[in-house]
Amino acid sequence: MLNVTRLSSGYGEVNVLNDITFSVGNEIFAVLGANGAGKSTLLKTLAKLIPVTQGHIEWQGRDITRAPAYSLPAQGVAYVPQEHNVFSDLSVAENLSVGALTGSRTRDEKLDEIYELFPRLADRKDQFAGSLSGGEGQMLAVSRALMQDPSIILLDEPSAGLSPLFVDTLFEKISEIRQQKSVTIVLAEQNATKTMEIADRLLVLSLGEVHLLKPVKELDMKQLMEAYHI
Amino acid sequence: MAYLIFSISLLLIYMGLAQLLHVQFGMLGIPNFGVVGFWGFGMYGVAVFNVQFGWPFLFALVITCLLVAILAYGLGMLILRLEGQAILCATLAFSAIVTLLVITEKWLTFGVVGLGTIQYPVRIGAATEIIYFMLLLLIIGSFQLAINKLHQSRLGRLTIAIRDNEELAASLGKDTFKTKLILFTLTSCLMGMLGGLSAPLNQFLTPNMLVPGVTFAVWIALVLGGKENTFGAMLGVFITFGLFDILVETYLPVSPEYAVMVPNFKLFLYGAVLVAVLVYRPAGILNNRQAHTRWPNADLS
Repeated sequence: MLNVTRLSSGYGEVNVLNDITFSVGNEIFAVLGANGAGKSTLLKTLAKLIPVTQGHIEWQGRDITRAPAYSLPAQGVAYVPQEHNVFSDLSVAENLSVGALTGSRTRDEKLDEIYELFPRLADRKDQFAGSLSGGEGQMLAVSRALMQDPSIILLDEPSAGLSPLFVDTLFEKISEIRQQKSVTIVLAEQNATKTMEIADRLLVLSLGEVHLLKPVKELDMKQLMEAYHI
Repeated sequence: MAYLIFSISLLLIYMGLAQLLHVQFGMLGIPNFGVVGFWGFGMYGVAVFNVQFGWPFLFALVITCLLVAILAYGLGMLILRLEGQAILCATLAFSAIVTLLVITEKWLTFGVVGLGTIQYPVRIGAATEIIYFMLLLLIIGSFQLAINKLHQSRLGRLTIAIRDNEELAASLGKDTFKTKLILFTLTSCLMGMLGGLSAPLNQFLTPNMLVPGVTFAVWIALVLGGKENTFGAMLGVFITFGLFDILVETYLPVSPEYAVMVPNFKLFLYGAVLVAVLVYRPAGILNNRQAHTRWPNADLS
């Protein structure tokens, strides 16, 4: 269980998130909002890459508000950034190995599972990550997170810059990962339509504040439009 | 012959500095522009302990290395969380401070008058210089072996990950600052050790040996050879120092009336090769892609 209480954070003196409170159970929890709403900032704050200026983050009963970023994978937290999410000078296999230090299974067991889930990565395992297409890079970033055997994945706009056809495949894979591994997913996205197909609950951010927090089934589209200022 | 051995010994020292800079910048992405500071501190440290205090060479070298390590650790704690440009300026400033201290602290270093004579640790008659050269060769060979091992290891993969994207590496559970600090301290300490080993080669030290030109020469060699390649540092120094400084400047057979032109001709060649490499091989003569294909069976455990 992830509990976020009255969270504020930002960059230097600029506060982006203000007084955010929510909880995430074992589900796909979507974070939506227009550009600049604070989705990526929220995920980076949860991954401890941006310091918390106020409030608390609690993960599985532990206060991680002041924990350094590097301590989170050992606690089952994996983060996939929106951009620059692969090590371009390392091969696909090396990228995956960098993420394999945590968890009880062996590296080879994890690799076999990843190559089964994403056969295209198996074909390209000796290729430099920097030479992959955008979609393949995104696959690799998600796979590397899975190599950590996480309990929760913080997934920041995985569909950004991908072709519509590949977006469909990617969302199918996210859904498949959720079903197979029962891992909690916090998914920040721009693509509201696709996100609502797979998410259990939605948090809509507007100018760094919680505008809406509801199960997808109870969502009123008018409220969503308002959050996007449409 | 003695001059040739001296020149090749210095070439080995420069190769060592470039190898260590390869680890710092080529693998970790730390732009250390204070190479001459660590090297000079090591050189003067050994000289002061040996000449002024009368300590045996080896003891002076060990104590100096410890001091350089403490200095590098402190500097690393201050600067390694900063951006690249800030690290560059800070390390450059550090080397300038070392040079200024050598000039101003005359009671210890004799300032511009110079400090000497630093003797070889052991004298074995005429063979002393050759044996010392062999020792340096052994040290540089060991550095190269260690770097090759590092490239194939988990730690080596981590350093490349940190260089590529430090934030992402941290989010994967890696203590990136600690990794950088440990490797920066170790490699800077070894730069100091090379400085200490340079002291008997030079025998008499003056502050004008500690010019930024030493740092730039090592950087140019690394960029030329290929900063991310395991062997780039050695190749770069071989071309700049070996071909231009030793072969062209010292041994090019020219008639006396043209001899005066040789240093300028050397600089011209130096510049032309550097420009050609930057234009046609921006990643250096040996680039990173080759380095990776060279290790297809690297240990991924």
